[in-house]
Amino acid sequence: MTRISLGDASLTNILARQGAELRNQVQRASTEVATGRQTDLAGSLRGDVSPILAIDASLARLAAFKTTTADAAFHSALQQGALSGLSQLAAGLTTTLLGSRDFSTAAQVNVVAADARGRLESVVGLLNTQASGRAVFSGMATDTVPLGSAKALLNALETVAFGATTSAQVAAAVAGWFADPGGYGAFYQGDASLAPIPISPGESADLSTTALDPAIRDTLQGFAMAALLDRGVLAGNAEERGRLAQRAGQELLTSEDSRIALAARIGTVEAKVEAARTRNAAENSALGILRSDLGSVDPYEAATRLETARAQLEALYLITARVSRLSLVEYLR
Amino acid sequence: MSITFALSAALSGLSATSRQAEVVSSNVANASTPGYARREVGLRSAEIAGAGQGVAVTGVTRDVDRQLLGERRLAQSGDGDRGIRAGFLQRVEQAIGTPDSDGSLAARLARFDQALVAAAGRPESQTRLQDVLTTAQSLADGLATVSREVQTARATADRRIADEVGKLNSTLVRLDELNGELGAFSGAGRDASALLDEQQRLIDTISTILPIREVRRDHNQIALFARGGATLLEGSAAVFGFSSTSTVTPEMTQALGGLSGITINGKAYDTAGTASPILGGTLGALFALRDDMAVTAQGRLDATARDLVERFSASGLDPTLAPGAPGLFTDAGTAFLPANEIGLAARLRVNPAADPAQGGALYRLRDGLGATSAGPPGNGGLLSALQGALGAGRPLSSGGFTPGVRSFAVLSGDLMSDISARRLSAEADQSLAAARLTALTDSEAEMGIDTNQEMQALLIIEKNYAANARVVQTVQDMIDILIRLGT
Repeated sequence: MTRISLGDASLTNILARQGAELRNQVQRASTEVATGRQTDLAGSLRGDVSPILAIDASLARLAAFKTTTADAAFHSALQQGALSGLSQLAAGLTTTLLGSRDFSTAAQVNVVAADARGRLESVVGLLNTQASGRAVFSGMATDTVPLGSAKALLNALETVAFGATTSAQVAAAVAGWFADPGGYGAFYQGDASLAPIPISPGESADLSTTALDPAIRDTLQGFAMAALLDRGVLAGNAEERGRLAQRAGQELLTSEDSRIALAARIGTVEAKVEAARTRNAAENSALGILRSDLGSVDPYEAATRLETARAQLEALYLITARVSRLSLVEYLR
Repeated sequence: MSITFALSAALSGLSATSRQAEVVSSNVANASTPGYARREVGLRSAEIAGAGQGVAVTGVTRDVDRQLLGERRLAQSGDGDRGIRAGFLQRVEQAIGTPDSDGSLAARLARFDQALVAAAGRPESQTRLQDVLTTAQSLADGLATVSREVQTARATADRRIADEVGKLNSTLVRLDELNGELGAFSGAGRDASALLDEQQRLIDTISTILPIREVRRDHNQIALFARGGATLLEGSAAVFGFSSTSTVTPEMTQALGGLSGITINGKAYDTAGTASPILGGTLGALFALRDDMAVTAQGRLDATARDLVERFSASGLDPTLAPGAPGLFTDAGTAFLPANEIGLAARLRVNPAADPAQGGALYRLRDGLGATSAGPPGNGGLLSALQGALGAGRPLSSGGFTPGVRSFAVLSGDLMSDISARRLSAEADQSLAAARLTALTDSEAEMGIDTNQEMQALLIIEKNYAANARVVQTVQDMIDILIRLGT
């Protein structure tokens, strides 16, 4: 049967449904224009969110590496600074010590010895450097300084050198103490080396240098030998005192090479950290761009969509108003 | 005698048009009543002994397209079914969080990873160790929240099944009563349209719950069958049985006990599979949600949680841990046993040994969970190893995902992608079902009351009434003339 009537509800339904649909579109588009983000991110990626998660995880990790590279750079810079301080202190003393056998008076040796003791205190102070509560030469025991006071060091050496009558005996006793794990090894208050610090994906910085490093130990040994003279070892024997001072000078001179090698090693770590920092920053911005490519909407496209939906909605309102007046009842008055 | 005939014909015309006006007014009044079908007055010419006797009303007919009605009801059940499935997946996706939401599982995981890296860089920093603990707790909470959401959805489904079953039973009883009333009305030849409207409305209610087939019997009575085969109403109403469970835990299933199935007249029926008579509507979808979809989702969450637990309790990772002791993530504070995998995601906790608030100490994150006293503060080896364990590829111990070697980030990515993909396909299904229902509802609405048409009819009725009245008046005049002839 052919119908010539059309139920009132039909038109109302259609208008209401289309109105709701258009309002929904307007809402979506306006949210997207306002936030610049997809309203249904999973939908726009067809359900596979793994790529965007991988990017987000990398970005988060890079933020952490930014902190750790800064830490590592600070740590190695402090070590480098202390080491160059050590070299300067040694350089100022070495030549004087080497020439000490030619001193005309015994008092001159005493002056050099007093200078050496003062420098030993500075050396210990440099090695005990702490930055934001972290001792840099103590290995894992970052909360304790690596060495005791210069006075305690000299006391210990005085004990082992007690009774020595020649410069060679004193030098042997000092060298023996520094090589002895129960001597200098026990005097060192720190712990084993720090574990490598992660600085970029799959890469870590080696910050293993402690006060036990041979370069540092040999330098300390040179200073300590000269400083012992100030404590009055070999008292009265000006000749042997001069020899001991010279031996100390030689000790400092030979340790210079290993100091330079150590500085170079720390320098390599610094360079590695810096390179990692640059690379992380580059990766961060590259991933950031990729992330916004995947997660954001084209504002022009979204704005166009908003404008179209708005125009359609207005037209629909107009139609609704007109059509609602199209009723026979209106004309039957 | 023909004048009297004319008079009675005109009078029958008047009463027929009055009846028509009554029906039109009823149609207009119910223009927006749901379930109201348009009525029409059936007319025929009355005759007695071969002579015209005016017009007779044969009855009032309801204008219903049964084919369309059946189709619409089927679409209605389909829409109810898809709506529930898509709604559940949307809910789970929301709980897991999309990549752009801040509290999502992935964001929590990324922050935990970030905290481990930062702490490895400066292990003596209490702030960074605290951050590791906080982010680890947040990750565990994240999994627990999703798991809770899934179980809440199951409990809600269980309650809704009870509601739907209650509604089904009461509607069937009412329909059975209606059958009786209709038998009495139609047998006596009275207008049963209002009862038929009520009958149609009640069947519509049922057809959202499960798809049905309606078979018409004599005197406007009906029999109802579920599309799956069960008899719902034939002589007497079927009684559905279901008992809801107040607390639903992950371990409870219909198969393993704890949750109720469905009975019809005391006999148990399948709630899933081809033999089940209740599939296709909201009832079937609620059972599928409770017994299948939510269980699958929980299984994946548990597999993810188990992977996390096992990563951090692997032997050799933390040398201070005794074999079998719980790692950083625990099953409610104790070591995880593979037999307890179900519901693990909800019970996931960070080891209390590392939490100062629970009598633990932060240094155990750095020095090992079994450490009895704080070690050297710069020891970052374990923290680096923990971060490595999180990112290392590892084969899955439990099912639920395709087998393979994954890092934890990839695993949680798979978890999220899986839910998102299923949500999208469920939404596509739903919009298809909704479009079908909309199209059929529109066709039905097109057949509904058209006030314009009713007004036109009213104009004709008015004209006919006036004409019949004129006939009566004319007949009276004629009779008057006859009477005056006698005087």
